[in-house]
Amino acid sequence: MTGQSGAQSRVTSGQMMSDTPETGPQTGSQAGQASADAHRVARRSLLLGAAATSAIVSIRPALAQTAGSVLNCEIPVPERGKGMFIDANGELVAPDTPGAFPPSPRDFTGEEVRQALRGRTLPGTSPEQSQAYLNYIRRLQAGQSGFTCYASLQMPGR
Amino acid sequence: MQDDEASRFAAVQADAILREPLDGFEAVYHRSSGLTHLLAEPAPQLLDLLTDTPLTVAEIAGQLEGAYDLVPDGEADIPIAEIVAHRLEELAALGLVLKVAGKGPGR
Repeated sequence: MTGQSGAQSRVTSGQMMSDTPETGPQTGSQAGQASADAHRVARRSLLLGAAATSAIVSIRPALAQTAGSVLNCEIPVPERGKGMFIDANGELVAPDTPGAFPPSPRDFTGEEVRQALRGRTLPGTSPEQSQAYLNYIRRLQAGQSGFTCYASLQMPGR
Repeated sequence: MQDDEASRFAAVQADAILREPLDGFEAVYHRSSGLTHLLAEPAPQLLDLLTDTPLTVAEIAGQLEGAYDLVPDGEADIPIAEIVAHRLEELAALGLVLKVAGKGPGR
């Protein structure tokens, strides 16, 4: 057993250290105690925990995806099946509301939205339409389609 | 060498995770899930043990007992192997440890 032999060698070095007369003369029982202490120190203790407890805490990256998928993830504008138009503020309004824009015929990728946030227009849209869509995207909340994708764009380094 | 039919456990491939000691804990980033896990004792030690050779619960318990003074928490009458099995289940549920077939290498 390699584990045991490793522990054994550490015990030996611990005993050698305890032989060093740093604390003056020792009685036989004191020396024996020191040796036992050295043995205890050398064999590191390991907390096993109780059977029912957990030894692991997971940190869930609610917003993070892998670097590749952030730019390829997609944001529908607006969510499917709504049938609503999007006004200049990004709010959903009834179809055919004057000044509002129809739903985008296709989803935008994370990369397209990232570039639009930096001043480009979303592909296939007019500047006003792009702004309205971007405002909609900015209002996305957890649970809505595209939120995780948009939130991931906000992560440092994107 | 034991050749029983009990399941053996193996650590996930070394390049599938990033391990970083954190002052008594260990942070483990699991590449495929994108999750980071904070591991307390004895989880990192279990990963160490299982990195090279798949082992059964009994073998793991034996190796831990050989290398450490084991300190169960609370219920002292619970066998070491049972606690080890619980820790392994946790690790397996997160994909950090894999259950491999009892006989023969791999799955």
